[in-house]
Amino acid sequence: MFGYIRPQKSELLVREYEQYKGVYCALCRQLGKSYGIISRLTLSYDCTFYALLLMALSDECCEFEKGRCTVNPLKKCIFCKTGEKELIKASAISVILTYFKIRDDVVDSHFWGKLRAYLLLPIASSIRKKAARDFPKMDKIISSAMEKQKLAESDKNSVMDFYAEPSAKMLGEIFELSVDKTDENYTQKVRVLQQIGYFLGRWVYLIDAGDDIEKDIKNGSFNPYILKYNLNATSSQEDIMEVKKYANQALNLTISQITAALNILDFNCYDTIIKNVIFKGLPEIQKELLYKKEKMHV
Amino acid sequence: MSDPYKILGVSPNATDDEIKTAYRQLAKKYHPDNYAGSPIADLASEKMKEINEAYDTVVAQRKREKAGGYSSYSSSNNTYGSNNNYSNYSSGFNDIRNLILVGRIADAEMLLNGVPAENRNAEWHFLKGTVLYKRGWLEEAFNNFSRACQMDPGNAEYRAALNQVTNQRNGYYGGYNPNVGRANNFSGCDVCSSLICADCCCECMGGDLISCC
Repeated sequence: MFGYIRPQKSELLVREYEQYKGVYCALCRQLGKSYGIISRLTLSYDCTFYALLLMALSDECCEFEKGRCTVNPLKKCIFCKTGEKELIKASAISVILTYFKIRDDVVDSHFWGKLRAYLLLPIASSIRKKAARDFPKMDKIISSAMEKQKLAESDKNSVMDFYAEPSAKMLGEIFELSVDKTDENYTQKVRVLQQIGYFLGRWVYLIDAGDDIEKDIKNGSFNPYILKYNLNATSSQEDIMEVKKYANQALNLTISQITAALNILDFNCYDTIIKNVIFKGLPEIQKELLYKKEKMHV
Repeated sequence: MSDPYKILGVSPNATDDEIKTAYRQLAKKYHPDNYAGSPIADLASEKMKEINEAYDTVVAQRKREKAGGYSSYSSSNNTYGSNNNYSNYSSGFNDIRNLILVGRIADAEMLLNGVPAENRNAEWHFLKGTVLYKRGWLEEAFNNFSRACQMDPGNAEYRAALNQVTNQRNGYYGGYNPNVGRANNFSGCDVCSSLICADCCCECMGGDLISCC
C-alpha cells in the first residue's frame, strides 16, 4: 500500500531533487523526534509527498541546511529547516497508517508475515495512540475509512468504483484538513484539495489492487479486478495482461481528474516537484507495475 | 485586481508574442473541455475569466502605449469563452438536467434511480453517467456513457461525453499510454546505429550509403 506516490527522479532538476530529499530526511528526523527511533521505519514516499504538499500550500518557503543522517552517520544529508508544523502532521499520518497496515497483515498474511505483524502490533499500537492524541480528527478519518473498506470488500457483488470509494474518501478528507482556515480562498481550496485527495486515494487503491493481482489469485484474497474478470488459478498470462490493460485505463482516467484539479491550485513553492509526482511519477509506476514487473529504484 | 502580468506568468518586459503564447497555454490548461462534467468546473472557469481579463488588460494597456503606431491585436474577440454543455438540448429529463446544472447531484441521482427500468433510455444512461462522473465513480460513468451511445449512436452529446472519457482512459490527459512510450526513448545512438545498418545493407547489395565506411 505504500511507496506509490513518488517523483520520477530522472525528470527532476538537481535542485528539485535535493529539495525533495531535504523534505524526506526532515520527515525522518521528525518521526524520530515525535514518536521515537522505531517510528522512523514508517518513513515513506507517500507521506513525504503529503508533507511537501502541505508546505507548498503554506505561506513560507523552506530553507535547507546540511547535516548528518542519524541512522547512517557516515552519510551527509540535506534537511529542510522550516515547516515543522507540516512535518509533525505528516509524521502522525505516517504512524497511524502504518498501524492499520500492520493490523491488516495480522489478518491477511501467511505464516511469517503474520508472525512479524503480531510482534510489531503492540509497538505500533502504542505509537499510534500517541499520534491519535495529537491528531484525533485524523485518526478518526483513517480508522473509520479502514472499517468501511473492510465492509465494502465483504460485499462481493459490487463495482470497482464502490470498492475504491473508502480509500478515495479517506484521502479526500485528509487533504481537506490541510487547508488553513485563515486562508483567503479557503472554500475554493478545500474543494480542489478534496478532489485531488479523492482521486489520489482512488489511484492508490486501484494501483495497489492491480499490483497484487497474481498474489491475490494465489492466496485467494479479495481483489476487485479478480472479481470483475472472474480470474482464477487457471487464467492464462494473456488474460491477466488484458486485465492489467484495463487497470491502466482506469488509472489514467483517475489521473486526468487529479491533473484538472491540480492545474487550478497555486503553490508557493515545490510546484514543479508536485507536478512531477502527478504527471510523471504516477504514470511511471503504472508502467513499472502493470507492464513490467520489476521495480526501479529511485 | 492583481498584477495582470503575474496572472499570465510573464514579466512586464515580455514581448507581445510571448504574452500571446503564455495566454494561449493558460487558456488551453483551463479550457472548459478539460473540465466538462467535473464538479470543479466552476473554479476552472473563474480562472479562465481571470486570465481573459488579465490578457485583455495587458493588450489594452500596450495598445494605449503604442497609440499612433500599429496595433496588432483585436482584443477580447480572440479570448476563449466558456460554453455550457447542457443548455442547448431538449429532453424528457429536464428537471434532472436542471438539478445537475445547479449542482444538486444527490437529488438528481435520487430522481434517476426512481425511473423504472423500462423507461431507462439512452438519455437516462447519459445523465446517470454524468452524475456518477461528478461523484468520482469514473468506471461506472464510462459504462453508462457507452450504454447511452449504444442505444442512440447518432446523438452528438452522448458521443462527446464518451469520447472525452475514452481519451482520458487512453492517457491523453495524464497517465501512462503504453503505445507512445517508445518515442521518448529515441536517442542519438539509434540514429547512428540505424544509419550504419542501412549502410551495411546497401553494401551487401553492391551500393554504398556512407562512403567512408
